[in-house]
Amino acid sequence: MSYITPIAKRKGLQLWGSPNEIFLVIAIAVLSLVIGFSNSVFFSIATPFDLLRSSLIEILFALGLLIVLVSGGIDISFPIVGIFAGYTTVVVMLHYGLDTYSLWIPLVIAAVVGALLGSVNALLIAGFGLPTLIATLGTASIFRGFLLSYVGSAYIANIPLGLDQFATADLISVETATGTLARLHVLVIPTLILAIALAWMMRRTMFGRTIFAIGGSEESARRMGMNVRWTKARIYILVGALSGIAGIIYVSLQRVADPYALAGTELGIIAAVVLGGASIMGGYGTVTGTVLGVLLINLIKDNLILLGIPGSWQRAAIGLMLLIGVVSQAISDNRRLKQAGTVTGEDKP
Amino acid sequence: MKDISRGLAQRLLSDRKLSQLIVVAIVVFAAFGILVPDVFLTPRNFVSMAFQIPEIALLALGVMLAMLTAGIDLSVVSMSNLAALSTAYLMVTQVTEGGGNVYLWIVIAIAIGIVVGLISGLANGAIIAGIGVTPILATLATLTLYNGIAVGIRNGQSITGLPPEFVAIGNGSLLGIPIPMVILLVAGAGVALYINKTGLGMQSLLVGANRDAATYSAIGVKKVLLLTYALSGGLSALAGLIIASRSASANPDYGSSYLLLAIVIVVLGGVNPYGGFGTVTGVIIATGVLQMVSSGFNALRFSQFYYQLAQGVVLVAVMVLNIYLDKQRLKAKREKAPKKP
Repeated sequence: MSYITPIAKRKGLQLWGSPNEIFLVIAIAVLSLVIGFSNSVFFSIATPFDLLRSSLIEILFALGLLIVLVSGGIDISFPIVGIFAGYTTVVVMLHYGLDTYSLWIPLVIAAVVGALLGSVNALLIAGFGLPTLIATLGTASIFRGFLLSYVGSAYIANIPLGLDQFATADLISVETATGTLARLHVLVIPTLILAIALAWMMRRTMFGRTIFAIGGSEESARRMGMNVRWTKARIYILVGALSGIAGIIYVSLQRVADPYALAGTELGIIAAVVLGGASIMGGYGTVTGTVLGVLLINLIKDNLILLGIPGSWQRAAIGLMLLIGVVSQAISDNRRLKQAGTVTGEDKP
Repeated sequence: MKDISRGLAQRLLSDRKLSQLIVVAIVVFAAFGILVPDVFLTPRNFVSMAFQIPEIALLALGVMLAMLTAGIDLSVVSMSNLAALSTAYLMVTQVTEGGGNVYLWIVIAIAIGIVVGLISGLANGAIIAGIGVTPILATLATLTLYNGIAVGIRNGQSITGLPPEFVAIGNGSLLGIPIPMVILLVAGAGVALYINKTGLGMQSLLVGANRDAATYSAIGVKKVLLLTYALSGGLSALAGLIIASRSASANPDYGSSYLLLAIVIVVLGGVNPYGGFGTVTGVIIATGVLQMVSSGFNALRFSQFYYQLAQGVVLVAVMVLNIYLDKQRLKAKREKAPKKP
């Protein structure tokens, strides 16, 4: 980046109250009211519960991606890492007769497999200095090819007992007026804890601050004596482990290990994180914004029918929404930079 | 062809990449020639490769143009499908129902398809240059949007039963050369001329090499970017039309694996992912190399997942090798250089 933004102007280091997050909250609220008044089915306790359930996996992936984006990189491989770890875990457990009720065993195996795959990314990006987009495009292709060629390409419906049971572990279940059960999955709590832990890590630890510094300006970070390479390596290994955990939980919630799943979801999650205010140029992004971004996208996705958009035009509607999201981000970034008086060229992003 | 002779004669870093690539091509060719000669070394195999190369090479050229300006175009496959679908829609509704002048309607439909590609590309350019959205995000959003429009037009269904006169284009040959290959060679020559001989083309390389410098050199960065992405859309549309013509159908979700393949080809072809450098020859040879790998794997009866694995390995290996060789060269240069007093 050829321009310098004063740190004080950047809202990346604070958790609450950036204009973008307020905007997201308002957008979610207004949209909910619009959907609700056009169709009263929406005003039910089931709606937020369903929204959370459909968003949880994406939030887990998005939090990992956020760290990468803040460091100034991008990761295309994370959904493949996730399903690789999830599927491999199930294969390994069934092969060694570990059909237990334990949840820790699959979580640990998946995290380890994810971290191993992440370390391949780390080697290429931190070790050899490959551009992150190209490196992770390559590894995504390698991981997927390897998974389907060597690990397996069949659906596994009888996943280990613990994972199967977890799929229906509800924190709260309420009977709604229509007689169906509205369920809030127990996963909400670990996800919340993880989000808070990550926010704390990003803001309060040396590692987290180094990530922001690298994303702001890699060269400056290096000259300040930060170990850029090692930090980057740790980022990709950590994201690998997070993706692995997200992958095994995805398998658990689906109650089937499908090696073809998740491929192609990366672009939507990148869009959600960017909508959440993270800068693709690095140096800026918040956990709260990311969570709100995922929730907003899923709110719209889940309710396009209620919004009166015919089924066949849903993808176009999502595309248009993404476009509005990235365009409004860019416009507000430009304005912020102009106010800071730091725009040097005419076409600064 | 001039590129090759010059590359072998001069020892520029740029053209060294090209000679490396030719060596890779020969090695791949020899390997499959020895492993599966009875399937790989047949005229039929080469003809089928010559029919398959153009569509993917055209998409790769589109990505290359964006990458030269230090951007990227992720929406190429969506644009090609949208263009193909528009053309197919027009042909199916006008040619069969109207029954008028078939050739006229085919020409009109093709023109409309290409215009659709150019407009989609221009829209990308406007979002990137006009509003200042990062290329990767802009084209990520339009990838979904264009795909969504293509799905919406016909409710997600593919269009089949295109007129035989149109299908003949993609499956026919001109003087023994498949027509898609002729289209690729003409388009490739056009892109090469644009990059090397026109002012705007040269400026697009400068924008990629150093955007700030380009801005201060009074280069119309916005104009260059607009044209770059519009051309990328046009090339994608050509690819889409070839696909539609070859398969006699148009599908909104065709070729979802082509995006990665196109990027792999562009990088393998020696285009600098940070912008500023790349050759058309490199991209076309790289397409040939990957098509040989694909055909060879088919001959060996490997699954498509091995091919995906191979694509990734090739991409990563080429990047790592380039970085390693650049370092070695830099070292050698430093040792050779006389010590400054």
